[in-house]
Amino acid sequence: MSEFKSGFFIGGESTNGRVLVVDDEPDIRKVVRMTLQKAGYDVLEAENGEKAIEVINSGENRLLLDVMICDIRMPKVNGIEAIAYFRENYPRVPLIVLTGFPDTDMATSLLRQGVVDYLVKPVEGDILKAAVGRAMERRELAPL
Amino acid sequence: MRGRPTSEGAGAAATTPAIVHTTVESGRSNPSAAPLPMKVAIIGAGRGGTALLDVLHQIPTIELVGMTDKSPSAPGLKRAQELNVPVYSRIDDLLHDQPLTLLMDVTGDPTMESALRQQTPTGADIISGQAARLFWLLVQHESTLQTELLQAEKMAGFGSFAAGIAHDMNNPLQLILGMAENLAEETDLEAVHAQALDIIDAVKRTTAICRDLTSYSRRTSVRQDGLIQVNSKLDEALKIARYAVALQDIEIRKQYQPDAVVKGNPDKLLHVFVNLITNAVQAMEHHGTLTLETISTADTTQVRVSDTGCGIAPELLTRIFEPFYTTKPPGKGTGLGLYNIKNVIQLMHGTIEVDSHIGQGSTFTLTFPCDPSPNEGTGQS
Repeated sequence: MSEFKSGFFIGGESTNGRVLVVDDEPDIRKVVRMTLQKAGYDVLEAENGEKAIEVINSGENRLLLDVMICDIRMPKVNGIEAIAYFRENYPRVPLIVLTGFPDTDMATSLLRQGVVDYLVKPVEGDILKAAVGRAMERRELAPL
Repeated sequence: MRGRPTSEGAGAAATTPAIVHTTVESGRSNPSAAPLPMKVAIIGAGRGGTALLDVLHQIPTIELVGMTDKSPSAPGLKRAQELNVPVYSRIDDLLHDQPLTLLMDVTGDPTMESALRQQTPTGADIISGQAARLFWLLVQHESTLQTELLQAEKMAGFGSFAAGIAHDMNNPLQLILGMAENLAEETDLEAVHAQALDIIDAVKRTTAICRDLTSYSRRTSVRQDGLIQVNSKLDEALKIARYAVALQDIEIRKQYQPDAVVKGNPDKLLHVFVNLITNAVQAMEHHGTLTLETISTADTTQVRVSDTGCGIAPELLTRIFEPFYTTKPPGKGTGLGLYNIKNVIQLMHGTIEVDSHIGQGSTFTLTFPCDPSPNEGTGQS
């Protein structure tokens, strides 16, 4: 993937796309943000599924969110519930699962629901960026 | 760790909330189809006599009619009183008062058997000498088996920790990997320092996980008995239980009385608490309130673990302490959790009682005698 190839403007700043990182661990959000920002992405954060739903339903995110990276084990609305909500209400946004616990059954079930990648922590920066790049190709434009 | 009914409990008798009390002694009140109980007296209240008392007391078809020792301070006499077994200072009085099926002489005194034969009423048997020693060996064997069973059940429970351990290990590992990758290219010295500190913190968190779990998995030893600070033991159990069950959406209320202590094995008591907390959280299906309470009085220390979960159906309450009884799906429970808990608590001379309301939750109350001996170590927590 060539960075900035599909770039467009948000708030006057060139970006490869807008990614929402949903994880209850601030450390994970911090390190994923660090990796993706260096690759030219605009990164938003949410600490659980409930916040993620708030984020996507606020303002321009409804239209401009490109990819969501979601943990599974989180308080309040967990990853499974959040993914179900996103698939139903925002099917155009590709979803990547980034979880601490590899579970084959869960991975199969989530991939069947349309999740584009199932990554297990710790994941290398290059693999994460490649996954986001693949997801970007799968995204559909929001209907205007 | 097992025995909390889930679907069965929620479905049964939903309209008639039941308050049911059961104690570990409840088996004795239900002789069912058994023949008349065997009436047994124990002569000698030392270590062997006490162990024998504890084992025989658990058998519903045996009625302990008395215990005696020439020394009024013999440990078995106190234990007999706790179990409501009559205590005699003189053998004559015991033989005179009580109809007997069997006398067990565990005094180790070679002259005792012949003395007893002269006084014992017709029809009563005497076990003495080598035969009594054989019983003592069997009782010791039983105690070893119980310890093994506890360890086996603890190890079986480790399987359910996998998700929690993976979560807690892989999150800091993700931070370490991400930061290290970034450091390889970072040129700002201040950022390098900050990220190095983040990595150090993350490494410390992963080592804490290993420390908690290796300490929990170690085998329990009878020599570790001592005074246990109950409140800190409950806190430690919460840290372990969170590997087995998700606590994120559980409200935890602690109502601790300061300085609540009990005497016993700290590792075994930790296992008891971990099991009770795990069961409570599983009964709530990850949403509800877990209350941990300690109450000290002059005579007893009580520990209460309450949940706002599905509750236990009254007809199941008498079964939950049975070995291998579980309502959990195959592979999820050994059916040994509450059975082991009951054994550990009995060894600590305590009782366990459960109150349950279908659809509202359950409370397990552990009651221990307050008997801190001044010679024992303190603060083993």
